[in-house]
Amino acid sequence: MSRRVITTLALVAIVGGASATARADTTTAVTADLEDQVVGAEVGLAGGLGRTPGGLRVAGRYLYQLSDQDWFDGSASFTYGSGGAECFRDRMNELACDHGVLDGSAVEITATVRRMFPARGAFRPFARAGLGVGVVRFNDDDLTGLAFPLHLGGGLRARVSPRVAIVAQAELVVGLAVFGDDLGVESQLGMAVTAGAEFGL
Amino acid sequence: MIVLVAACGDDGVSRAVGARCDTERDCDERCLAPSTAYPDGFCSLSCESSDACPSDATCADVEGGVCLFSCVFPEDCAFLGPGWTCREQDLRVDPSRKVKVCLGA
Repeated sequence: MSRRVITTLALVAIVGGASATARADTTTAVTADLEDQVVGAEVGLAGGLGRTPGGLRVAGRYLYQLSDQDWFDGSASFTYGSGGAECFRDRMNELACDHGVLDGSAVEITATVRRMFPARGAFRPFARAGLGVGVVRFNDDDLTGLAFPLHLGGGLRARVSPRVAIVAQAELVVGLAVFGDDLGVESQLGMAVTAGAEFGL
Repeated sequence: MIVLVAACGDDGVSRAVGARCDTERDCDERCLAPSTAYPDGFCSLSCESSDACPSDATCADVEGGVCLFSCVFPEDCAFLGPGWTCREQDLRVDPSRKVKVCLGA
């Protein structure tokens, strides 16, 4: 019997009121406490170096089970940063910028894979890796770029009710962004820490 | 002299003082528009004393008081590009005193 079938049976058991028994089983089964489709929302803080936007991060997430341990983890995120105009032309007439870690804004969609690991007590750790594409904007400098970041991260998930879990995660973002004007291709390097809730479908 | 040359280095150019400009939008506060006095334009800050300027600049009594890079020799201003040299100007806070600052030749 595949683990996916076991997962389905476990979910039926939970819905049917056998939650106590099901929770006991999840301490050993990797997939038993995560539905095959999950949606989530999260909020947090992002920080970026150079032309990587940072600020308040709000994201929506959709997970779809791929295998016993892996879920497709897609997200749409918005980053709202602060900061005024920070770019100028140096004496060689080249554009130079000095943005802070919480400057700029971004809209991004990501496609990652989340691998769930066996639970440790009430928490289930996971790792996540994948790619994104987004629009990066520094409004006061009238600077817009198209970013292609690699996302590497991980976190902890804890179930608080049969279909609801809270999630905290951190990620590292590394990539490139193509800007107009004279700025050209710039590296992207940032971090984000978020927390939110996920709901099984 | 080494200190002054370093102070006038390219690293000291910013939106506040030293960047090229055509309009105020190019600077934090004020653009001294391109002219023979300010070749390629010069971002600066209004000031009444040098306390309002970065450490490598002096508040000179030109344009109603603006921060300009300090210098000793004409070569100290070479990083600003062609047409810049080291000239004597009145000090804003005390016009009876002279200071040397980078200006157009």
